[in-house]
Amino acid sequence: MLKRDRWLTWIFVTPAVLLVAVLMYYPMIGTVIESLYSTSFINPTPKFVGLAVYKKIFASADFGQIVWNSCIWTLAVVVLQNVFGFLCALLLNQKLPGQGLMRSLILLPWVLPGVVAAILWRFMYDPQLGLINSFLISAGFGDQGLAWLADSSTAMAAVVIAAVWKGFPFATIVYLAALQNVEEEQMEAARIDGAGPVRRLWHVVLPSMKEVIAINFILTTILTFNYFDMIWVLTRGGPQNSTHIFPTKIYELGFGQFRFGEAAGYGVVSIVVLALLITLYFLTQRGGRRAVA
Amino acid sequence: MKKLLLAATMLAGLTPAAFAQETITLKFWDNQQTESGLSQYQKEAVKRFEAENPGIKIEVTTIPYPEFQQRLLTAVQGGNAPDVSTVDQIWQAAFAEAGAVAELDAQAKAAGVSPDTFFKGAWDSANYNGKLYGVPFNVDVWQFSFLNNALFKEAGIDPASITTFDGLKAAAEKLTDPAKGKYGVGLFGHKGEDTVVVMNSFIFSNGGKVLDENGKCALTSKESVGALEYLQSLVPFAPKGILNASSGDMRELFLNGSLGVEFWPALEQPTLQKSKIDWDFENGTAPSGKTPVGAYGGWNLVVYKSSPHQDAAWKFIQFLTREDVNGAVVDLIPANVKAAKTFLEANRKGADKIMTHLANAQPRPLSARYLEVSDIEVTLAQDVYSGANPAEAAKKACAAIDALD
Repeated sequence: MLKRDRWLTWIFVTPAVLLVAVLMYYPMIGTVIESLYSTSFINPTPKFVGLAVYKKIFASADFGQIVWNSCIWTLAVVVLQNVFGFLCALLLNQKLPGQGLMRSLILLPWVLPGVVAAILWRFMYDPQLGLINSFLISAGFGDQGLAWLADSSTAMAAVVIAAVWKGFPFATIVYLAALQNVEEEQMEAARIDGAGPVRRLWHVVLPSMKEVIAINFILTTILTFNYFDMIWVLTRGGPQNSTHIFPTKIYELGFGQFRFGEAAGYGVVSIVVLALLITLYFLTQRGGRRAVA
Repeated sequence: MKKLLLAATMLAGLTPAAFAQETITLKFWDNQQTESGLSQYQKEAVKRFEAENPGIKIEVTTIPYPEFQQRLLTAVQGGNAPDVSTVDQIWQAAFAEAGAVAELDAQAKAAGVSPDTFFKGAWDSANYNGKLYGVPFNVDVWQFSFLNNALFKEAGIDPASITTFDGLKAAAEKLTDPAKGKYGVGLFGHKGEDTVVVMNSFIFSNGGKVLDENGKCALTSKESVGALEYLQSLVPFAPKGILNASSGDMRELFLNGSLGVEFWPALEQPTLQKSKIDWDFENGTAPSGKTPVGAYGGWNLVVYKSSPHQDAAWKFIQFLTREDVNGAVVDLIPANVKAAKTFLEANRKGADKIMTHLANAQPRPLSARYLEVSDIEVTLAQDVYSGANPAEAAKKACAAIDALD
């Protein structure tokens, strides 16, 4: 490479590097540093406490529950969103009447603002006036409505269903685009070889979509893990912390109680947990590929 | 000639306007109040103040409640605090502890501002560690028990009976018929301050406290636990979903005739007046022979330490809390007792009754860690409403409160 080319490369790369450094790494490093200080509204002068914040977080009774809730929430929403999204994509990939209209309508939950969608589900889940209980009672399932969001045993499932409804169209659109890129020649060859729809799906469609599936899983994992508005509007992390996840806890500590150091500590831990989840996913993928090989 | 021109030019620069007093602009931040048409009254009051105090201009910023605290804190930390603002009573201690707001004892003493001018509980809420950091602006009390007259008549219940613990429970039992979608009492336990104030009012009415004089948790006292046990005994007569229900949810049920008694401050009256419900109210609930003691809600006016216009800010506070002004610029109840009486007689049903409840009410704990105490209390309420042993739940709450560093 010529010396002049090297200079040109640096000139072109520098703005991007600066943007990434300022917008991503500076706040991240700032959060890590903040977590080493005890800072709150009433004690605004930062006091260096080392790892004391982390010691406090790990010792707190809430911590285990928040990690567990975050994992369950992320796993359930990601799996259901992707499975449901994939099935809908398969359906919409068929030549059916009104296909265009169906493709547009299915996007509706996804284009709704998160808070609006959450309020809608709050009305649906209302124990006295909600649509879900009215339907269940009229269908003969008991004579009194359930308090879906007020019962620790049902609240997580209720928020997961709402989040899946809100997010599955994204998976549908991604998978629909991928399905349309499956090579017709391969499908035709499989048909000639006598492969039925299930075998074609398993041996042709899924292998040709594996990169898209992997990327979609990672994207939805990150989005779901950091998803805040649905849970905050529906339950605020309650009842009895049964739906408290990292983002709701961080918000509560930082903006509800102004314990900035602790909020930063939870933020750092949440990044680590998210990184672990994604690493686990890659390891599973790699393990799967080795088993196939 | 040149010298003459220079002198003339210099004199022209020294016009009377240049000699005139410099105009001060005070930044005043307020919670966006809900009473319709109130902003018009506020604007008129500001004009009146500016006319009475030439040289002082007021720049009013109103902010919705959910954002208000965050905006104030960000402004304080960023060094851009307003000169004057309202603060929720429960934020007052933290603002004082953080050194954000100015002590007002000297100004109050010099101006002859007497604690008797305001409701005692409201005045107490403006003090922290024996010093005055604010002046009460408006107040209200949790809880008044609003009742559906039609349901009470149908069930043959005397409305006055619900002022006692036994009476409220008996009425709630009689009014409850889940098959018909009717419930006696609107309990709520979501993560919100309304959950805490209602629980506190039952604790106060039973002679209990949240924190003692030394700031230690007092929720394990016999009186506090007794109140929690009583609240738990009302659960079968409340609509399902207490742990995620708010006072707003209970209002909906009250307005559609499904609920016999809802707990709200007097602020609820304008809503009920516009509804078709035949309603009345009682001053909270206490054990037989005791007086119901509500928990204060409301706002205080503070001057920020960073304000370069301390005297002008104090003048504005004095103006807003004056008897002839206070009633026109609040949507709760004026904190000035005389203004409150006039306001209630003109705007609320049962003015004397409300005045009695206001006089008996207590503020919530005056702690700089109140927001954390409040969160712990929400957990306590949720534990109690979901069937945990109240004494054990109170013990857990006290361990958490006393561990706050």
